[in-house]
Amino acid sequence: MLQKRLIGEINLILAVTAKKVIKEFGTIRALNELSFEIKTGEIYGLIGPNGAGKTTALRIISTLLLPTSGIVEVFGLDVIKNATKIRKIITYLPEEAGAYRNLSGWEYLKFMAKFNTENSDEIKQVINEAAKISGLKKRLEDRAKTYSKGMKRRLLVARALMTKPKLAILDEPTSGLDVLQAYHIREIIKNYVRNNNVTVLLSSHNMLEVEYLCDRVALIDKGKIIIEGSPQNLKGKYGCENLEEVFAKVVGHA
Amino acid sequence: MLKGFRTILKKELKELIRDPKILVGMIVVPLLMFPVLGFVLGYAAETAQEQAQEAILLVVDNDGGNWSQIFIDYLKTSGIKTSIEFNLTPDQVVDQGLLAKNNSTQFIEIPVDFSINMTHHIGGNLETIAIINSYVIFQGGGVFSEIGSSTITSIIYNFNRIIAPDALYTYQSTIIKGKIQEGVDPAALSGLMISQALALPITIMVMLTYSMQIAATSVAMEKEEKTLETLLTMPVDRFSILMGKLSSTIIVAGIAAITMMIGYNYMLGSITMGLPTESAIDLVALGLVPSPFGYLLLGISLFITLLSALALAVIISAFAEDVRGAQALVGYIYPIIFIPALALIYLDINTLPLAIKTIFYAIPYSHPIIASRAVVLGDYTIVIFGIIYVAIFTLVIMYIASRLFATEKILTAKLRIGRKKEKQKD
Repeated sequence: MLQKRLIGEINLILAVTAKKVIKEFGTIRALNELSFEIKTGEIYGLIGPNGAGKTTALRIISTLLLPTSGIVEVFGLDVIKNATKIRKIITYLPEEAGAYRNLSGWEYLKFMAKFNTENSDEIKQVINEAAKISGLKKRLEDRAKTYSKGMKRRLLVARALMTKPKLAILDEPTSGLDVLQAYHIREIIKNYVRNNNVTVLLSSHNMLEVEYLCDRVALIDKGKIIIEGSPQNLKGKYGCENLEEVFAKVVGHA
Repeated sequence: MLKGFRTILKKELKELIRDPKILVGMIVVPLLMFPVLGFVLGYAAETAQEQAQEAILLVVDNDGGNWSQIFIDYLKTSGIKTSIEFNLTPDQVVDQGLLAKNNSTQFIEIPVDFSINMTHHIGGNLETIAIINSYVIFQGGGVFSEIGSSTITSIIYNFNRIIAPDALYTYQSTIIKGKIQEGVDPAALSGLMISQALALPITIMVMLTYSMQIAATSVAMEKEEKTLETLLTMPVDRFSILMGKLSSTIIVAGIAAITMMIGYNYMLGSITMGLPTESAIDLVALGLVPSPFGYLLLGISLFITLLSALALAVIISAFAEDVRGAQALVGYIYPIIFIPALALIYLDINTLPLAIKTIFYAIPYSHPIIASRAVVLGDYTIVIFGIIYVAIFTLVIMYIASRLFATEKILTAKLRIGRKKEKQKD
């Protein structure tokens, strides 16, 4: 009994556990014994070159793909056995995702909120929260097809955070956005996580973004984690001024 | 020459030729479809002719004179297989089911004063003519259904050439649903039925292709915009996603089926209006329009077929990466819709060779077209069989779709086709 409670508490601390995860598509091995852990409340970044396996890792944790072998747990729940339970506590934002073109921002948020709660007061509360996060104000009444790339991304990030999920999985949250738009998104994520005890797992190409946002980062290449640590640690360890240099040093010579 | 025109033309041609959708849709499909259609029509014509030659012509001799004997002998020397009966009215022939007994679809009656009239005519009284009454069972009106009656016409033409010009005439009647309709020319009726049967297959083709494109686009759009990926990580039953998608199209298909029935009914009711009164064949009076029950069955058949096509479009597009790909994939099904639809405009399924008949019955999209003919003739069994078959087909498709949505295949199905691409993308 005591042991069970202890395990429960440990699991509460770990938002994500990945142990020796392998994912194969036919003959191609996208993840090669990938292992890492994410603590509750931290912002964890996966960085790496194109084709490194970042998206595959995020998709497995979001219960979209099944691992070929290995263990993946989200708050102690196994992604294979407990996918339905996991879907209640996570949100996932795919890279370059869109919204329904012919729904307005409000309608989109309401549509998504209804999957988490059926109580109309709660729905109202949730979408008001999303409206606040997105900062889109009056434009929420317009159809999503009229939105700019930045506005669409703000809407989707707001959607991913509005239900205060235990774990938000964000795939390239600022890719393709201009400096100001990206800045706005980063501020949203940082502030929201700090105030609401949300754990975030994100992937990014942008080292500055990762450095600014993440408590810890993992550099992934060819389906494996090469180095892991806080941005400060990594920079110190490799004697670099920023993560970009660390990245070039490690991947370039790997 | 316009500046840059050649460069742009060259690039456009390259892009068009390299697009498999255009290559398949505009070159391969027509090259395949028309020969297939031609083969089907040719094969059907051959079979119809063979059947006509094999068929036994029932001759009812109510005259019993020497001229009737000459005529019957002439039939025999012309290679017509005959079966002779005496002293029966045409109604008795129909009522006693003599045609079915002889495995025949038509009979001729040599009326009482046939020999007298012939003798008068030959004797110089040219105003007196002899008549042969011809009766053909109406089978639904394919182009080859009149081969039998045209055989009689040509025999009488040749008989006149040997004996005396304009001595003998035929009086054509049609047997519709077991009842003799005096003076209704089976060839004219066939022509009318074909012209009115044209609209429904074409409308069905348009409706199927349109709605399949819409359904495919809607799924592919969700994949392209990654809204599907988002939905799949939400606390929602995956079967609900599929059913939600299908149900919306079911509602649209239902409305479409109803509006089509209303329009079709209106067309059938008004089709004889433009014809000159003498040759007018009133389809309503002949009972050659569907009954309310017939309309209901036709509507159901149409609805279930639309549903089946939509379900298939949803599955197929789940394998596509984007909207263009989905539309191209759905396009591969079109020949299967078009070939039976076009063929059944001209052909009556009942007169087709067994092999082609089986293939057409196996294709779910031909069933509403088969049904449209069958309900006119009151042959409800084949319509109900069709509805059951298409319903089972649809259930199988939906089962596969739900299996697909339940696994990661909904996202990775494309990977098997284009693995390399995915690796680069990731």
